[in-house]
Amino acid sequence: MTDQRIHELLPFRANGTLEGEELAAVEAALAEDADLRGELAVLRAVRDTMQAEQAESPGDFGLARLMRDVGAEGGADAPATANDNVVPLSRLRIWQAAAAVVLAVGIGFALPQFVTGPGPDPVAVRDTAPETGEGYSLASGVETADFTIAFSPDATEREIRALLLDAGVEIVSGPSAIGLYELGLLDFATADGASEILSSADIVEDVE
Amino acid sequence: MSADHRFLIAQIAQGDKQALAALYRALERPVYKFIVSRLNDPVEASDILHDVFMEVWRSAGRFEGRSKVQTWIFGIAYRKSIDAMRKRGRMDLTDETPDMADDGPDQETCLAAGQEAEHVRYCLGTLKDDHRSAITLAFYQDMTYGEIAEVAGVPEGTVKTRIFHAKKLLMRCLSGRVERGMA
Repeated sequence: MTDQRIHELLPFRANGTLEGEELAAVEAALAEDADLRGELAVLRAVRDTMQAEQAESPGDFGLARLMRDVGAEGGADAPATANDNVVPLSRLRIWQAAAAVVLAVGIGFALPQFVTGPGPDPVAVRDTAPETGEGYSLASGVETADFTIAFSPDATEREIRALLLDAGVEIVSGPSAIGLYELGLLDFATADGASEILSSADIVEDVE
Repeated sequence: MSADHRFLIAQIAQGDKQALAALYRALERPVYKFIVSRLNDPVEASDILHDVFMEVWRSAGRFEGRSKVQTWIFGIAYRKSIDAMRKRGRMDLTDETPDMADDGPDQETCLAAGQEAEHVRYCLGTLKDDHRSAITLAFYQDMTYGEIAEVAGVPEGTVKTRIFHAKKLLMRCLSGRVERGMA
């Protein structure tokens, strides 16, 4: 095996994916070449450093966005819904549909100021009817909301995420058609403490 | 883990949103990190990540199982990142290797670094996209060169060549910074 070939394979010796004859050839070269061993040590250090790097991914916020858009997409492009618990409003019994509408109107009545302005990211109206079972629930199993909140339209994802972490809450559902999110308390947080933090945040337009 | 991912893809193909959520939770961080490493823009990377999982939702039924689910999803992320870079007009489509990657680092950046991670981050940033992607997949994702070839849609020999040059440039950049006392 040529010197270049060994050097090509060295990174894969560093990440532990080399096997068989290639691994044996690289091991043999390493046994004879101190410079190559030094290079391998540097590559391992680079790998360790890269793996230790933290990236602030969108997390639950991104998941909420994904679920919202998947739910809104529907139509022919979406996969068949063999195991879907979504119940379109049109298929509900009349009383169920009425209850869903009453709930949506109730939220709108309780927080009328939000109806006049769009939330951070409006979605289809059917997302406002949690009784239908539509949307998603978090893995943590939180099913009931402790707060209903509206963020200011110019709030960034980073600001919202920082606030939620600070208050010890997570998004249970939302955004609704009028931009409302429902939040659930995490185990370690208290309702009073979270309420105080949320109420005093600049990016919060209202919280109940 | 791979079998779990395959199960989730099968469920997603049947329209199971909870399976999509589970797959998202499992792979969101590494896929996002890979996209950020290519675009260097967290906001745009978040959008691309979203697009990737939307495509997973739409295309799960067409996944043939010939590769790992992770490899398939990283391939989607790879292509969508390329599309984003093309839109920005930032794409270098040649496979040519620059003579020197460490061409005059920002002194202020270097002085502020002070840590090994910063050196690695800086030097990775000097690599062209193809090289950086190959190194990122090899070192952050611990992929084989065959898997990297699948993700990038190129022959294995091309991946080895990219890795070879990327490694050389990375070493040169790191040693250059150490020699200049940028610790």
